Amino acid sequence: MEVDGSLGPLDGFFTGNPEHSLETCRNVKNMVIGNNRQKSAVINDGLLPRLLQLMIDESVSFELRTESAVILGSVAKGTDQHIQSLIDAGCVHVLLKGIFSVHLKYVEACLRCLRSIYLSNKAPADLVYQDLAIISHLVNILSKTATTQECITSIFSSCCKTQAHQNVLYSNGMVAALAPLLNSNVYKVQMPTMKCLAVICYKNESVSHAVASATFNGEPIPSLLLRLIARNRTSEMQMAAAKCLTYLYRAGGLSAKNPIIPLKTMPTLVRMCKKDRTLEENIDGAETLAYLVEVDPELQKIASITDHVISTLAVYLKYTDVQQITSKINGKKDMDWGLEMKQAAFKAFASIGANDEDIRKKIIETENLMDHILMAMTSDNAKVQGAATRCLHSLSRSVQQLRTTFKDHSIWKPLMKLIEIGCDEVLAIASSTLCNLLLEFSPSKEDILESGAINMLCKLASKEDPALKLNGVWGLMNMAFQSEEKVKSEIVETLGSEQLFVLLSDEDPTILMKTLGLLRNLLSNKPVCNLVHIDSIMNVYGTQVMQAVVFILEGDHSVDIKEQTLCILANIADGDRAKDFIMENEDVLKKLMSYMNHSNPQLQIAATYTISNLVWNEHDDAKCYHRQEKLRELGVQRLLQKLLDTPDQTLFEKVKTALQQFS
Amino acid sequence: MMNFGCDKSDSSGRDDWMEKLRETGTHVTRADMNKLIMNYLVTEGFKEAAEKFRMESGVQPSVDLDELDDRIKIRQAIHSGNIQDAICLVNQLYPELLDNDRYLYFRLQQQKMIELIRQKEVEAALEYAQIHLSERVEENPEVLSELERTLALLAFEDPESSPFSELLHPSHRQKVASELNAAILEADATPKLANLLKLLLWSQDELDKKKEKYPKMTDISKGSIEDQK
Repeated sequence: MEVDGSLGPLDGFFTGNPEHSLETCRNVKNMVIGNNRQKSAVINDGLLPRLLQLMIDESVSFELRTESAVILGSVAKGTDQHIQSLIDAGCVHVLLKGIFSVHLKYVEACLRCLRSIYLSNKAPADLVYQDLAIISHLVNILSKTATTQECITSIFSSCCKTQAHQNVLYSNGMVAALAPLLNSNVYKVQMPTMKCLAVICYKNESVSHAVASATFNGEPIPSLLLRLIARNRTSEMQMAAAKCLTYLYRAGGLSAKNPIIPLKTMPTLVRMCKKDRTLEENIDGAETLAYLVEVDPELQKIASITDHVISTLAVYLKYTDVQQITSKINGKKDMDWGLEMKQAAFKAFASIGANDEDIRKKIIETENLMDHILMAMTSDNAKVQGAATRCLHSLSRSVQQLRTTFKDHSIWKPLMKLIEIGCDEVLAIASSTLCNLLLEFSPSKEDILESGAINMLCKLASKEDPALKLNGVWGLMNMAFQSEEKVKSEIVETLGSEQLFVLLSDEDPTILMKTLGLLRNLLSNKPVCNLVHIDSIMNVYGTQVMQAVVFILEGDHSVDIKEQTLCILANIADGDRAKDFIMENEDVLKKLMSYMNHSNPQLQIAATYTISNLVWNEHDDAKCYHRQEKLRELGVQRLLQKLLDTPDQTLFEKVKTALQQFS
Repeated sequence: MMNFGCDKSDSSGRDDWMEKLRETGTHVTRADMNKLIMNYLVTEGFKEAAEKFRMESGVQPSVDLDELDDRIKIRQAIHSGNIQDAICLVNQLYPELLDNDRYLYFRLQQQKMIELIRQKEVEAALEYAQIHLSERVEENPEVLSELERTLALLAFEDPESSPFSELLHPSHRQKVASELNAAILEADATPKLANLLKLLLWSQDELDKKKEKYPKMTDISKGSIEDQK
């Protein structure tokens, strides 16, 4: 035997003498198990293809084939490079063929090896799905032994990655096969079973409905999970069960009102955030809690008062330089636990404070939270940056915070920097936060404007990504709200009328809605001041605006969009010379009349309001009488009189006001 | 067997306590007690005793007693110093165990080296350490001191009387054997009886901290209970 990891004499391995081969194979196995150097030797000596050859040779005894599979299985317990070598040698194909064997021991050896390979996340998941026979066979043999149970559930828990994978597993009976395993008394089976259940439910509505209603011995899966979340189970198991229930609820399988969620799942997750648990559990607990309460205000409220979770999470922010906690498994790279803890806390804060002002206040009063957020936003770790920005975004929904803490910390500075250089994921959430900072009551609005926000937002509004485009338009809309003419014309000039009209024909209704909102804000006069923005903008872009308006009114759009468009007309009608654009367009006038007759009072009100603006007689000038005359000829006055019968109070008031203007 | 009534001189405090236990219906049935004992025998791998006990008490063991044979074979191999046989058996029956738990593998390899030293095969022991144990140290530097202690045996003419002689004691074999047994059994490794005793000690400790008066079990092996002054 040599020192530096050669396997030594392998004569007789393939001499054709079966007994001799088996003996050699066993020796190799006993050398390889537990020894990484010997694993490398197996690879370097070119043994992999020969072992694979043995495995696909039906004439070879199953004992020898099993020993070969065990050797491969041991190599798969080595380093990442070892696993890569196995994959490169085509091992996965042979193993997936091996599982169809009638010899259970051989099948188990293949499954163990497959599990090690798949848990490394290096093998392409699609190989398992290439042939549906593989899936249905794996589901069929799932329950055979404790080994098949733990291996197959582990394999699927790490190679169910897409919705298509979830659906294939479900339609092959995976859910029904998993349910009994929750009742298994083998720990090593229960754990991967729960992981598997969690991944096949994740964001998949139909599967999670099926899982929620599936039963074993008359007991539904959620109550089976309740037994595994109990306090006498290990932390790891409680966490896995809580994750399953979280995913079930978020995908729609369980309701937020089901007591399992607020009374069992939530307290378990909060418990995982406590100091007496490991850092891994702290992180997993906080992240899962963030996901659990993300969209439900009631759950957010309950979470905020569950066992001081806010102050528990605040402690996460104090972890610094907790690096180099070496993992048990060899070769795993070190993690920066401080950063991981921080980002988990930010995510949880973002979710818990998403809707309630009091909770936000509680969160923001957490010691130096803003400083931590600022620091994290300027960190070079994208994960932490993203989480901090999410937290900031959630807090930016608070009027009070915008006026105080946000202003004090000049939050807009790092935020704009992030948008300037940030990667796409951070960009969406950062620009959405910026939109909130541009709301009219935000004191940062001026500062942001001065540091080139218009340019930045216009760039976003021209992006391909709908989320970014939306945020760009949204920000511009907020920016244009009751702003000075200088700002308005800068917006129009920078965005370019062409891009504005491209946005007006966007398929996405929310983008269209915000663009209309932007246009409406651009075409409004700032109250108090007597500036005439409407005329100046219509002077330049009048024709195009009118074209766009007609285009949208004729298109197949929702009531909200039509209403917004009619409001733009109302704004135009509020101008001075701009009124002519409507008066000279008989087409538009006829449209207005038909909207006055519309079945939806919202649209009737907006159309009537436009008319009211058109006939508004302030200075007693001749042009106004002229307009009234024309509208009377078209039958508008008659129409208004008929509308006095409306049961809608608001509409009635508008109609009355309009009629009073006619002299 | 625990004996609850061995000390007659105890005052009435204990009788009250036992009376209360009876009233609350927490009486432990003989069948439950027998199950505990069977669980102990099975997890510890005492097959013959378990078989006898089954005949005497009628309690069925939770696993097929023949499955114990594998674990017993492995245990015997270690007890008789045939470590390589034990390793081969483990690899045959539980092929992933020693890959997953490299420290356990180190303990077996260390024992193998101890056996070589016992047989005065100095050359073989050194070669084995060089070839097989250096990788263990690279993976986990913490094993270095244990390895050094083992190699130190070589420095003495009569290792049996050296400061490290405990390594050569039969109890070291037993220790390694039960570590391996526990690893094979994983979660079910501790007999339920042991857990119950832990709970008992913990509760008594808590009661002591609060300076409560209660009948305390003072000798666990005899099961004697005394009143506290």
